[in-house]
Amino acid sequence: MFSRLSHSLGTAAVAVSLATIPAWAHHGWAGNSQEEFELIGTVQRGVSLAGPHATMQILADGHVWDLTLAPPARTQAAGLKEGTIPVGATVMIHGHRNLDPKKFEVKTERIMWNGHTFNVYPDRK
Amino acid sequence: MYLFLAWLQNSALGHAMRETGVWTYGVVNLIHILAIASLFGSVLILDLRLLGAWRKVPLGAISSAAAPIAKTAFGVAALSGVCLLATKATEYEGNPFLLIKFPAIALALANVAILNRSAAWREHRMRELSPREKSKLAVFGGISLACWVAAISAGRLIAYW
Repeated sequence: MFSRLSHSLGTAAVAVSLATIPAWAHHGWAGNSQEEFELIGTVQRGVSLAGPHATMQILADGHVWDLTLAPPARTQAAGLKEGTIPVGATVMIHGHRNLDPKKFEVKTERIMWNGHTFNVYPDRK
Repeated sequence: MYLFLAWLQNSALGHAMRETGVWTYGVVNLIHILAIASLFGSVLILDLRLLGAWRKVPLGAISSAAAPIAKTAFGVAALSGVCLLATKATEYEGNPFLLIKFPAIALALANVAILNRSAAWREHRMRELSPREKSKLAVFGGISLACWVAAISAGRLIAYW
């Protein structure tokens, strides 16, 4: 009886994991557009290296945009530390914006500032 | 809800989680995962035994090993979980998976509290249980397993909302 129970539990677990793979293959990227997105703005709140992802805010097109960067250690390894880019500085960012047009959020792969490029996701285009 | 989350985020704990280095969140997350693995592992074995698996192994032998691990692991998971939540608490406002996770945990704790008060559970190490008592414990085991699967599944999905 138990082996039948464990077999059906196992089958159910495999079915559930297979069903969820396409939607969540990339942790967190599924809610963002596939299209490459660029934006120029001024730093509203500087880089924070708090987990699970580093963040910053820029002001662009009259909106405050939330930038989601790589995890803290990876962001720091790309040379981007808290205070590296001063508040008010003009930056260009490259990434993928949130699919929800009401959410001004960009999963950010690169930040260009003052001749520097901070490539926090060098394996992504 | 929002006021509580904002208070938690601005607490000393929230500041410590955000300002003590790039590995803080990762290490606390690791502790949380190890605690959940220990909790679910011990609960899984105990609940399956209550549901009728491994009848040859005395229930008391399994419960005396699994119950203390589950209790300790729950404590560690709860403490590390509060730390993780405090990091950016307000970002979880409106996350539907939080509203599945915490009621599921509350139900699991209520289930185990009622189980602890039952005569069958209090006396299972001293005497052989009647078939009626065994089926009663099986119901507790089934509810427990369902609650923890729901809590862990919803907990994992919080990050994908």
